[in-house]
Amino acid sequence: MAGVRDRNESAWLLPNDGSRTNHGLRRDMRRFADTDEIDMVIVGCGAGGSVLAQRLARAGWRVAALDAGPFWDPDTDWVSDEAGSHHLYWTEPRVIAGSDPVPMGSNNSGRGVGGSMVHYAGYTPRFHPSDFTTYSADGVGADWPLDYADLRPYYAAIEQELPVAGEHWPWGDPHGYPYRPHPVGGNGEVFLRGARKRGITAKVGPVAIVNGRFGNRPHCIYRGFCLQGCKVNAKASPLVTHVPDALARGAEIRADAMVTQVAIDRHTGLALGVHYMRDGRERFQRARMVAVAGYSIETPRLLLNSASSRFPDGLCNDFDQVGRYLMVQGAPQTAGRFDAEVRMYKAPPPEVSSEEFYETDPAKDYKRGFAIQTVSPLPITWAEHVAAQGHWGGALREYMSDYVHWSCLGALCEFLALPENRVTLAEEKDSHGLPVARFAYSQCDNDQALVEAAQAVMEDILHAAGADEVITIKRYAHLVGGARMAADEQHGVVDRDCRSFAVPNLYITDGSVLPTQGSANPALTIMAVAARAADHLTGTD
Amino acid sequence: MTGRATGRFPGFDVLGQRRHWDEVTADLVTSRTGPPPRPRFFTDAERVSAAALLNQLTGQCDEPLGVPVMEMVDARLAAGETDGWRYADLPEDGQAWRDTLGYLDMDAQARCGTGFADAKERDQAAIIQAVQDSREWHGMPAPRVWSLWTRYACTALYSHPYAWSEMGFPGPAYPRGYKNAGVGKLEPFEVRDARPAEDPVGDDA
Repeated sequence: MAGVRDRNESAWLLPNDGSRTNHGLRRDMRRFADTDEIDMVIVGCGAGGSVLAQRLARAGWRVAALDAGPFWDPDTDWVSDEAGSHHLYWTEPRVIAGSDPVPMGSNNSGRGVGGSMVHYAGYTPRFHPSDFTTYSADGVGADWPLDYADLRPYYAAIEQELPVAGEHWPWGDPHGYPYRPHPVGGNGEVFLRGARKRGITAKVGPVAIVNGRFGNRPHCIYRGFCLQGCKVNAKASPLVTHVPDALARGAEIRADAMVTQVAIDRHTGLALGVHYMRDGRERFQRARMVAVAGYSIETPRLLLNSASSRFPDGLCNDFDQVGRYLMVQGAPQTAGRFDAEVRMYKAPPPEVSSEEFYETDPAKDYKRGFAIQTVSPLPITWAEHVAAQGHWGGALREYMSDYVHWSCLGALCEFLALPENRVTLAEEKDSHGLPVARFAYSQCDNDQALVEAAQAVMEDILHAAGADEVITIKRYAHLVGGARMAADEQHGVVDRDCRSFAVPNLYITDGSVLPTQGSANPALTIMAVAARAADHLTGTD
Repeated sequence: MTGRATGRFPGFDVLGQRRHWDEVTADLVTSRTGPPPRPRFFTDAERVSAAALLNQLTGQCDEPLGVPVMEMVDARLAAGETDGWRYADLPEDGQAWRDTLGYLDMDAQARCGTGFADAKERDQAAIIQAVQDSREWHGMPAPRVWSLWTRYACTALYSHPYAWSEMGFPGPAYPRGYKNAGVGKLEPFEVRDARPAEDPVGDDA
């Protein structure tokens, strides 16, 4: 692992005394003046923005990354508690519509430095090579303007930086992981047992949770609260994997700074910097270049809220592409009941997965596929699963008292990118007076067929493992798209290097640029795409 | 209500493990067992209806757990602590709560000539069940109303250590973590289910 430290020293910059934050590094952070024309201002400090900041700072760029939320300290800001983690989610007002509206907040929207990876489960699978050509192969989705081979070295690099633990991965482009797989808990045991009986291959991993010790990041303690922010520093998020190195290399992380508009010079058409709110004051950061990394809802919203005389319908929206092709994965969750005690909360929710159903199966009447993974809901999310069966009152309590007997699997179904699934601006305004996002989502027939197929496979696995009852809740997971990359400006917002077609010094480096989503959790791919964009910017690609 | 929900984990008390939790988490969880905050969001009339509705939804009419669900929901609404979205065909959460509590009173007046809170418990239950069974209710999409009520009710109830004790869940786990994960394995502080074959569905069948 010596090579990792030479590229990214984050894990060694964290304290090794049992506390989780290097306060000195934050106190001594370089701070730019609003009037400095810095090389790059980045909007958003999540998976995409943090990687970009770290890479550019390493290359000597003067870079500041602004985030609307706080600069977290896991010791004091985070708790081992579901309801007490409400502040980790983006809960500013949003309106959801369409025939299948998608809940936001804890489901898919992060807040603060580290972004949604602060509360993601920790699964970090790669996309498959087929994900980059779904249109030419199957007539659905889109072809990317780059292919898997372009991302492969970035996948490998980020897997070492997080670092990822798992068994050798037989699917997609087969590959290994830098760390051995974690031991499994009750839920993982059940999945492996049921899959084996049905002849389905399932593997332990891939999870971005330290197995062993990595720099000053300790081994996971298997407390089960991955989705509430890791108080151990064992689970990877940019807060511990990229921000410390960025700070040490001279980047500024400006927390509690809500960017409200990207400013465009109306004569040159170039970006000049960003307007933002901090401590109740309107401010403006000048920059030579701007990168937007606010994820699939806030990135399109910011572009639409940045309309100007040059871009009357919203920045980069001359061809009505901004906000479109927004995707979520169908994520039905099926639980099975066992007389034995599974106690699924006693391990990280991400343990075991199968990508056996990921690719298009010519024998089926639907295209593309799904992945299956362990999920281990804690009491509040488990209550949502039980209540979805219609139980309330005494029946709800009775079911809930049975919690220790249940095992739970989740599928990620590749819902297709559709133009009507998009973000627009609502009438409603937020506390800054800016229109909030309205996100319309409707499923197509292929989507629904995938959910049914995935549910049937999960029920089958759980029955094979010995479950005497199974119950399912239909949910969604993740967000990608909304400002996708494409071959030209009539089909997307940015090019293969994440540069916007409309404004040569404006980049988008987050999940919103993804044209398809596969059945993979998106964090690793978002980081890989941002790392590749950084190499393009610094001329090292 | 059968009374079977409680007592499956004899002697198990989540709060008995408090000394093993980190201070920030311990303070937060323990605060939920103290006197509830005075309601600030609901009006007097809304408060009694909300308490009746939420006690029904959380099964606390027949089997009180001592979880002040109404006060917990009120505190969230007063703070504007939403889930981060609202359905386009429902008002924002606070207004949706006020509107739907008013409709419950209207339904109770029509059914038994009283406000919802003063209706008999079985009448309250029938009124609630009718909402769950409807597509539309007082011009609102009933499934969205049901989603709103149950999300707030479940989040409040299952954030409470008394509810965790009832389900055998040990609550916070930092800095201790777990050492005995796996089917059938227990930590020294966990208590085995006294009635493991009591599958809720098996009993109903």
